[in-house]
Amino acid sequence: MQPAGSVAPKSFINQLAGHLSWSRLLLSLGLFVFLGMILFPFYWMASSSFKTGAEIAGRAPVYIPSALHLDAYRELFDPAAPHFQAFARNIVNSLLVSVPSALLAVVFSTLGAYAIARLKFGGKSLMLNSILIVYLFPGVLLIIPLFALLAQAGDLVGLQVQDNLGVLVFTYLAQTLPVALYMLTNYFHTIPEEIEEAAQIDGCSRLAVIWRVTLPLSIPALVTVGIYTFMIAWNEFLYALVFLNDRAMFTMPIKLNAIFNDPSPRPNVVMAASTVMTIPVIILFLAFERYLEQGLTAGGVKG
Amino acid sequence: MIHDSTAKARRSWLGGGMAAREARLAWLLILPSALIVFGLVLFPAFFSIWISFHHVSLGNLNDVFHAPWVGFQNFQLVFNDFAFKFQGWLNWGAAVTTVVYSVLSTILVVALGLLAALILNHKFTGRGLARGIFLFPYIAPVVSVAFVWRWLLDPRPSGVFNDVLTSTGLLHEPMAFLATRGLAIWLVILFQGWRYFPFAMLMLLARLQAIDEALYEAAGVDGASNFQKFLYITLPELRYVMGAIFLLRLLWTFNKFDDIWLLTGGGYGTNVLPVLTYQFSFGSFDFGKGAATAMIQLGALVVFIALYAVTVMRQE
Repeated sequence: MQPAGSVAPKSFINQLAGHLSWSRLLLSLGLFVFLGMILFPFYWMASSSFKTGAEIAGRAPVYIPSALHLDAYRELFDPAAPHFQAFARNIVNSLLVSVPSALLAVVFSTLGAYAIARLKFGGKSLMLNSILIVYLFPGVLLIIPLFALLAQAGDLVGLQVQDNLGVLVFTYLAQTLPVALYMLTNYFHTIPEEIEEAAQIDGCSRLAVIWRVTLPLSIPALVTVGIYTFMIAWNEFLYALVFLNDRAMFTMPIKLNAIFNDPSPRPNVVMAASTVMTIPVIILFLAFERYLEQGLTAGGVKG
Repeated sequence: MIHDSTAKARRSWLGGGMAAREARLAWLLILPSALIVFGLVLFPAFFSIWISFHHVSLGNLNDVFHAPWVGFQNFQLVFNDFAFKFQGWLNWGAAVTTVVYSVLSTILVVALGLLAALILNHKFTGRGLARGIFLFPYIAPVVSVAFVWRWLLDPRPSGVFNDVLTSTGLLHEPMAFLATRGLAIWLVILFQGWRYFPFAMLMLLARLQAIDEALYEAAGVDGASNFQKFLYITLPELRYVMGAIFLLRLLWTFNKFDDIWLLTGGGYGTNVLPVLTYQFSFGSFDFGKGAATAMIQLGALVVFIALYAVTVMRQE
């Protein structure tokens, strides 16, 4: 297109030289080191899940599987496969824990955060301070008293505490509600009070104002809270390890641990289960990245 | 002003006026969250103190409120336990290991996070995608990533690290990296750096992007080099965020159970207090001793926070 085609190579080299400088070189080097360090383990997880038992047990690692073998996935999902793991059951268990945790966290924290952000009541500052303290309080310190108390409470009312997914939902709620309350309270403060007052003057009751005005304006924050709680419940390990004994009730993390500790190690199956467990989290994250990053900087995930 | 209105709200708590109605509604709205958090966090926290002074085992777990009082016996047992106390440079014990592990991993997390944030603060094509990818280690389930790293560090010749190190001649024969005392603890610290740097990165990136561009321009006019700009503008602007990240991560790493449990099971010189708490309670079913370990951990935490409040927050 350009008439002066003969000078193009020279100007290209010049352009390249203009772009290349020590700081740029260092920058891209750093970027590639980070990317490699992060992505290789994930590549290794996904690629190992498609290897055969022979490829896994060889003397040298197989960096690229010969084909997409589904042996490991068959062991997880196909009842006809040897060592069938019934992994679908564990996926369902994980969903039965994570989805109710997320929904309840959104409902409870919306109600509580609205009260803290908008209403006047005695004991408010005490409430806020205890939320912050609870936020810093580590879960591992609570596992013993919770175990003892729930065993006791279970005996009293005839409730089965072990292998009860409902109990797990409530322990996860206890861990995530403080952060959720904190995040939503901050968010509600950013909604101008005048909008709500206008609706009240128009004759809406408090609850109608929350439902028709505040909530629609807060959807990004509600999504963030829901997804965070979902992810925390989906990934949680310690409480599930303590409260679940029956293999049929295992959530995915505990099942993964059980497969890993199997006397005959089958890393391809472990990696297949890891892949199945990781993909939904990555997809959720990428789909809602913008909201979630704001939540993260607000101290969203404790971990 | 605020005090006035809350006092008024409290006085009229039982009345029939607007303020009383509002306060009643507020408590009603908070009730579900409050019940869960108080019932499943605050009350158990106090109950944990109680357990640490009683003998609670699997036998009397069903009748825990009548457990016999044993005074400080549980604490003595923990302090004298070989898994807990320092026994020399080859065998640190969980108390010292926990401190070394949490302080060093936190420093690593902040350093890597700063490096990543500085890289991502430059404009380049695909920056948004790169930032998303940088967060993967932090959002992926800990069980998955811990097992991938175990598989990468596999002791057999088919482990990636063994293959690379033996074929380049750096190692003569395959090594059980995570089962080597003296090495395992450093690998666990590196894993912490890999997994948690995105947390520090995001916070630092947000702060970096809020620094006034005019500061750099003014420094450029005065002839400052890039390094000088970093040292005299960027670092001071990031100081408080870095302090806050350091404290939060230190708190959480100090109480982290999953990572070490999944990577080494607490063996080979990597045992830390949270893992010890678990082992005492659910391995040997001595809940009193477990609770005492947890209390020692909590005590250390309180000291950390107090030190932080005195040194860092006073400067602000």
